[in-house]
Amino acid sequence: MPIQLTSQAYCKMVLHAAKYPHCAVNGLLVAEKTKEKKKDSHGEPVLCVDCVPLFHGTLALAPMLEVALTLIDTWCKENSYVIAGYYQANERTKDSRPNQVAEKVAARISENFSDAAIVMLDNSRLTMSCFEPIVLIYDHHENKWKSREVTFDCFEDWSEAQKITSALLEGRSYENLIDFDNHLDDLRNDWTNPVINKSVLDLC
Amino acid sequence: MASVVKREKMASVSEMYDVGWEEMRDKLRKWREDNCRNSEQIVDVGEELISEHASKLGDDIWIIYEQVMIAALDCSRDDLALTCLQELRKQFPDSHRVKRLSGMRLEALERYDEANKHYDAILQDDPTNTAARKRKISILKAQGKGTEAIRELNEYLEQFVGDQEAWHELSELYINEHDYGKAAFCLEELMMTNPHNHLYCEQYAEVKYTQGGLENLELSRKYFAQALRLNNRNMRALFGLYMSASHIAASPKVSAKVKKDNMKYAAWAATQINRAYKMAGRGTKENKCSMKTVEEMLESMQITMS
Repeated sequence: MPIQLTSQAYCKMVLHAAKYPHCAVNGLLVAEKTKEKKKDSHGEPVLCVDCVPLFHGTLALAPMLEVALTLIDTWCKENSYVIAGYYQANERTKDSRPNQVAEKVAARISENFSDAAIVMLDNSRLTMSCFEPIVLIYDHHENKWKSREVTFDCFEDWSEAQKITSALLEGRSYENLIDFDNHLDDLRNDWTNPVINKSVLDLC
Repeated sequence: MASVVKREKMASVSEMYDVGWEEMRDKLRKWREDNCRNSEQIVDVGEELISEHASKLGDDIWIIYEQVMIAALDCSRDDLALTCLQELRKQFPDSHRVKRLSGMRLEALERYDEANKHYDAILQDDPTNTAARKRKISILKAQGKGTEAIRELNEYLEQFVGDQEAWHELSELYINEHDYGKAAFCLEELMMTNPHNHLYCEQYAEVKYTQGGLENLELSRKYFAQALRLNNRNMRALFGLYMSASHIAASPKVSAKVKKDNMKYAAWAATQINRAYKMAGRGTKENKCSMKTVEEMLESMQITMS
């Protein structure tokens, strides 16, 4: 089942990467929980409506990741969401392959959501104008993570996503993006990013 | 990551934030002292300070040129970096410190072979120049040669065993290679020389937890607790204490006493966590949701772990 990204999900991922250009960053993608599982729901895309930025810098340590996964899972249940995917931008510009951390987290997510996807950001193509999507999407097939072709169908509305992301990058909104690391530094920092969400809504 | 192209600056920093040149200079100093990597801000403030208030800065201007140059490299502002570099070259023509900056500019332009030549030239002249050696290791890191970077850094540390920044860098390199045992060793060195640093304790605990296994979990719990003793507001240590104690209590391999003790530690940590969220949420509507979420999460974990 392919995933689709809303403008909000896409732009917050890109803002997270832009906030920490010298670090690796990662986060979770969440989708709305559908009530019934239709028999022919294979092939219908899973719409990732939002993302939760997690960490920057060292991604490979377990305890805070576990806390984040459990906390965000609880939050999802309260909001009828489900964790449907994982995103990561590596530290180096030219490196956009999913690594062991990505595969481990995705495997964990797959325990609760069978079609979990890995979304990697291609740092080398990140620009202010966002003229093309910079994500690589990986699905789990036969025990391997394989990348799928990214088209505009991977977005709920690419031109809206492009317009909003570009505007927020220009306006340096990434300075106000909160990830889980920021939250652990100061609990008042809200990882649901209500301020950025509002900016996205205002630009829609 | 490729830096985004700079937009046109609209208003000056001093206009936007209503600050004078002295405040801008002091801000730059604070960022230098704290070793912050907020390069966009440094470029904004520094560029304006240099272009409009250079004469007032006295001898501070040279260290500001250095700071702004490095920040400019981070922001792909090669124009600004070159300006700063040229001023420094004029003032300090034979300086190794400036030569290192030239090397860094070449690194930013991904001309690694030329950069290495610069650093080798410095080291020919002065084999004890630590800055040049660290830049060479950074180049290996930038090229994705993690194993080689680790090897070189180990050699460096044999000679310069007291270099804390290097030990910390090495621990990070090991973590990225998932060699948690060696990462722990580096952090042990840091804890020995900095026994009051709660961050090293907490990072060591995280590494031990990640290594896994009952013994490492118990060690991690002890060091999360130690980090809390050193700084009772370290949320990572508090969460870590909760997680490690909960996992130990849930393990089938522990005695009844150990199980009981760890359930006590976990319960204590849960209370502290809830209290911390309550304090943070005082007055704000949104954070009350956060508090509720945390309470529920802790409760649900107790259920699954018991």
